[in-house]
Amino acid sequence: MPEKSALKGLAEADRYYQDYGLRARELKKQGKKIIGYLCAFTPAEVITAAGFVPVRIKGDVNEPITKADTEMETIICPLVRSCFDMALKGHYEYLDGLVVPHACDSICRTYDIWKYNLKLPYAHFINMPHGTDDASLAFYQDVLNTFRTSLGKFAGKEISNQALAEAIKLHNQNRAKVKELYELRKASPPLVSGEELTKVLIAVMSLPVEESIKMLGEVIAEMKERGVSAQKQARIMVIGAQVDDIAFIKLIEDSGAWVVADDLCPGAREFLSSVDVTADPVVGLADRYLRKIKCGRTYREMKGNYEEYLEDRFGHMGRMIDDFGVDGVVLYIYKYCDPYGFEVPQIKSYIEAKGTPVLYLEDEYSMSTIGRLRTRIQAFLELLGSK
Amino acid sequence: MTEEKKPEERKKRRTATEAASRIGPMVKAMVGEVMQAKEEKKPIAYSFICCCYDEIIRAMDIVPHWVENYAGICGAKRDAQRFLERAEAENFSRSLCTYALCGLGFDAWREELGEMPPESPWGGQVKPDVMLGSGQMLCDPRNKWFQAAQHYMPDVPVYDVGLPWPSYESDYDYREVQEYYVSYIVEELKGLVKFLEKHTDRKMDWENLSELVDLTDKTWNLIWETYELRQAVPSPMGTGDAMNTMVPIVFMMGTQQAYDFFQDLNKELKEKIAKKEGEVPDEKYRLLWGGGLPAWFALSDFNYFNSKGAVFPVETTYRMIEATYNFDIDLSKISDPLEHIAWRWVKFWTYWHDRARKRPGSHPDVERLIKYIEDYKIDGIVMHEAFSCRSWHPGLIWQLNLLKKVYRDIPSLVLESDIVDISSYNEADTRARIDAFIDPLEAVKR
Ligand code: SF4
Ligand code: SF4
Repeated sequence: MPEKSALKGLAEADRYYQDYGLRARELKKQGKKIIGYLCAFTPAEVITAAGFVPVRIKGDVNEPITKADTEMETIICPLVRSCFDMALKGHYEYLDGLVVPHACDSICRTYDIWKYNLKLPYAHFINMPHGTDDASLAFYQDVLNTFRTSLGKFAGKEISNQALAEAIKLHNQNRAKVKELYELRKASPPLVSGEELTKVLIAVMSLPVEESIKMLGEVIAEMKERGVSAQKQARIMVIGAQVDDIAFIKLIEDSGAWVVADDLCPGAREFLSSVDVTADPVVGLADRYLRKIKCGRTYREMKGNYEEYLEDRFGHMGRMIDDFGVDGVVLYIYKYCDPYGFEVPQIKSYIEAKGTPVLYLEDEYSMSTIGRLRTRIQAFLELLGSK
Repeated sequence: MTEEKKPEERKKRRTATEAASRIGPMVKAMVGEVMQAKEEKKPIAYSFICCCYDEIIRAMDIVPHWVENYAGICGAKRDAQRFLERAEAENFSRSLCTYALCGLGFDAWREELGEMPPESPWGGQVKPDVMLGSGQMLCDPRNKWFQAAQHYMPDVPVYDVGLPWPSYESDYDYREVQEYYVSYIVEELKGLVKFLEKHTDRKMDWENLSELVDLTDKTWNLIWETYELRQAVPSPMGTGDAMNTMVPIVFMMGTQQAYDFFQDLNKELKEKIAKKEGEVPDEKYRLLWGGGLPAWFALSDFNYFNSKGAVFPVETTYRMIEATYNFDIDLSKISDPLEHIAWRWVKFWTYWHDRARKRPGSHPDVERLIKYIEDYKIDGIVMHEAFSCRSWHPGLIWQLNLLKKVYRDIPSLVLESDIVDISSYNEADTRARIDAFIDPLEAVKR
């Protein structure tokens, strides 16, 4: 078997999607250290700068959760439970370390469960604040420096400003590529399907950043060359938390619509904003993760009146609806997800007020529950069609 | 429109102490005071327990309305379902914190009617002037709930206090980071004072704040000493009562009333101990309530435990204090009141770290269980997993597993239901599980 995939572009992405972690396992054999992390809020730049390969831990909607329950309560978000279940079942046996950011309760309150069960040589919790005011930003810079020192200790050498700046540059390039890929969704019909794009972004979560940049470049070229796809009855945007499987996106597309936009991670939430180049690289990093990524886990202070506040929190969704010609929005939220669960009425009314219909679905992150959503999606698409 | 339901018949729990039996009327009076304050146009703040701002709002003469308390009252009165259903109709998932759902359902309904929903428990929950959330490593609803409530009250401003504490890590000690945690919290508290001054007609009385901060230290120490009295055999007071005496701890901190209450309780417990008067006449098993918020609608389950000769001399829940003189710094030397509050907070949350370092593979949460098991001569552990709260309930099973690994096997029971949502509860099943737990306990005792 060749060490590195001989496939190119989409075929390569498909392979890394189907066999998640494949490349990390190969690199591990070559002596590289692999650091697993949860959530888009882990600053992967720091891991790259330390000379490690960051791999985002994902779940599997096809795999029933059987092992996790002996250590982790069933009241935790099913995505996190699935990730943990996969880890307990050995799917991440190649990890040398684990990094967990303060994302939501389901993630931060289970850090110890992860740490004590996986018993990896390295574990670190990044205590990111919720607020975005200046004091929170300053605190977060301190927190990032603590992480940087800690990971540097594990690496056996300090993480220099230069290494960090270099890593930031690479991760920004990666994001720029994803942005380019998103541009292809704007065409009607889109040049890349939602299913393909999701697959690519999931593959990206498991690759060293340089390899990801290369693969994305190939995918973009291929998609451009392939040209026009078939017309479908509607253009859909999906909003939700971590959707790390194609199943749900495929369900929508199989029902007769294109998924052309999203506010998901992996997806627009984490890839469409980059890190500013700053003299102290930690300053730029802190700013991006705390202020630029708009996620329900972060609390944004109200400035101006309530309408302006909603615009500040959800304006990016509204703009995407316009830019990508979205006909309808599916708000796809997992049961037990606190950051997004509390936002449903606000997001729904914000988008509906702009004239775009919204379908709100609650799900449990498993193939069997996803299947049950089919009729509701079909009915929603019919409604859009009749408009 | 949410369908109105008749509250089901509620069984009142018998208390062991006279002090605990006084709590019901105290809570009712507290809710009444908020209604009164509203009429007098005093500023009212929606508030959460355990957010560091007790003394601040007291010193500024701002009236707190404790939202978790109000939802708990609805739960205890078995009259929460209609508010939960209302929240669900608003598209809030039923899997979210049911305190929050109850409160949001209530607010949505009240704002729609322009008056209190019909037959609101104890007069209802008033519309506040400000809402004080917090961002901490504890609970997402603390920064999501009030933000969501603005959907119904867009004119009510929110302040979110950043209140982190250092996690327990193997590669560094919390002392290496504590300074910047404290600086941050101080800045956030300063911001809170500014916010309150801007949005209410009140000014901070710094001298008063310093006094209240000292009073709080004194109260913490008194509570700690009072609760430690429960180590006596037989134990004079159980967790059932502590679910009442939590009221002055979390809703009245920084008031003379809280201090006086614990003085009375302290005296009462000493008298009971002198007379060897236990929570039950014939104490057979001593249990630790090792985690989880209680099912407020089913507090009489504590009496059921009692009927089997089981008592709860100690609990981790709502024991949100430590003796400040046991901290590794002298708090009394920190004269700036905001800094004082911040240090107290950080020291509280890292209190068990040092003990954990001494036992290989251990963890602060588990050390706390071990200490209580030993000090209170515990035979078994009971926990409650409330499905809707991902703050206090994740990690309970893991703690039990780790306890077994680093310490010893000890009989344990994890009950499952909720804090407010009674549809999650089955009395017959719960009691059958309690029965099945008591038997092996008998074997271990012998
Ligand atoms: S889906 Fe929600 S609850 Fe789950 S990890 Fe993401 S933000 Fe947290
Ligand atoms: S999630 Fe838990 S801690 Fe937070 S408000 Fe609800 S019950 Fe309280």
